[in-house]
Amino acid sequence: MNEYAILSFHAAIILFGVILMTPLGESVGGFLANKWPSTSTKRGRMLAGLMLVCTGGFTVSAHTLWMHNKLSEGTSVCSGNSILNCDGLIGNPEYNTVPFINQPWGLLGMVAFCVLLWIVITVAKEPLAFATPTFLKAGLGATIAGLPVIGLLVSYEIKEGLICPFCTTAHIANIIAMVSFFVLLRMYESDEWAPELKNTRK
Amino acid sequence: MMNNLYRSEEASARGDAAIIVISLFFVGLLIVAFTSNPIATGTQPGERAPIFTAQAYNGNGWETFVFDDLLTPEWSPNSTGDAPWIAVEFLDTDCGYCKKSAEDVGNWAEQYSSSVWTGPEVIFIAVAVEFVADSSRAEIKEFRDSYEHTFAYVDDLDVDIAGDWGVGATPSYFLVQPDGIVAWNSGQASNSIGWDAVSEEVFSLTDYTGDNYIELNEAIEQLTMKYGGGTQ
Repeated sequence: MNEYAILSFHAAIILFGVILMTPLGESVGGFLANKWPSTSTKRGRMLAGLMLVCTGGFTVSAHTLWMHNKLSEGTSVCSGNSILNCDGLIGNPEYNTVPFINQPWGLLGMVAFCVLLWIVITVAKEPLAFATPTFLKAGLGATIAGLPVIGLLVSYEIKEGLICPFCTTAHIANIIAMVSFFVLLRMYESDEWAPELKNTRK
Repeated sequence: MMNNLYRSEEASARGDAAIIVISLFFVGLLIVAFTSNPIATGTQPGERAPIFTAQAYNGNGWETFVFDDLLTPEWSPNSTGDAPWIAVEFLDTDCGYCKKSAEDVGNWAEQYSSSVWTGPEVIFIAVAVEFVADSSRAEIKEFRDSYEHTFAYVDDLDVDIAGDWGVGATPSYFLVQPDGIVAWNSGQASNSIGWDAVSEEVFSLTDYTGDNYIELNEAIEQLTMKYGGGTQ
């Protein structure tokens, strides 16, 4: 299968997550509410959307780890004459591992998105817990910590004059997650987080 | 009591989430592990030789040398074709042993690239490092010319490439398969170990000369001819 067709699967998961988080998600959430009642609320849709974004980030990271391994076998997985070329970056031993720990970037991405996913699932399961703001801040902090890493990887792309679409998809997922955690934190501080409690109080 | 119960549920949420996420992580890892067979980068037999780009003297002047350009990634032991193997020598122009072996290396370079040799072509490259005393590009040029070598001499006076290849002494020799996998490394504890690309295991090379040391030419003759030879 063409590598860009596979990439579109990862991108579709992330895109669906983004749609759920936007005002468009209200109509989509209506269809999902029967199966997942939490998606009937704005908070539920935001958390469900963020879960999908993190899942998409995880799957695309796992795919880059697979590419890393296949390239070490000597197989070409995503090359071409255009600027879009993963082989030249994921297959380049100068850039394809995390400095100091010497592990593939894809593995770091898998771990990072799993941690984010754990935070989101925990918050979604217990949105009214005392630790919720701490978890949201941790998620925001973790995604902000990802920015210098993205900057480093983009600098490799600039140096090589290539763009790795799979890596870029993972970077975009991190940035979307960062914005989402920020929005969720703002929402927590407002009445939108638990409108049912607000009504109860009344 | 309600407060305790509430906290207990929080812990349960974290635990449930952890189980889901850890399961997902291991499923992802297992899929990657079962569908790929990664090869480490290194210089032990069976590992992928570290690639490099540097300036090299080819007799006419200093030009950019890209190790990757010598490789034939689609090579397999079953289709030897005319893909060339690569013999890499790390030398120091001030090292006595390198001077002593320079004539042999020059002869082997000619022999294994000529039409007299029935095996696949072997491209020789020399990587000049600076371990013993101060060296320079002029010295590298002079060394190459004095032994009438015809192959490229790569400038590694900053020992960057030597570091990647784990070279601590000169001369050190490597034989690299056309697909970039190290087939033999003279610097191993036992230098008689070669890489079998079919069984993907190491095996013992035969010491023809009986000196308990495998020379580069012995490794070339046994390893390049292992898969039925090739064509020139």
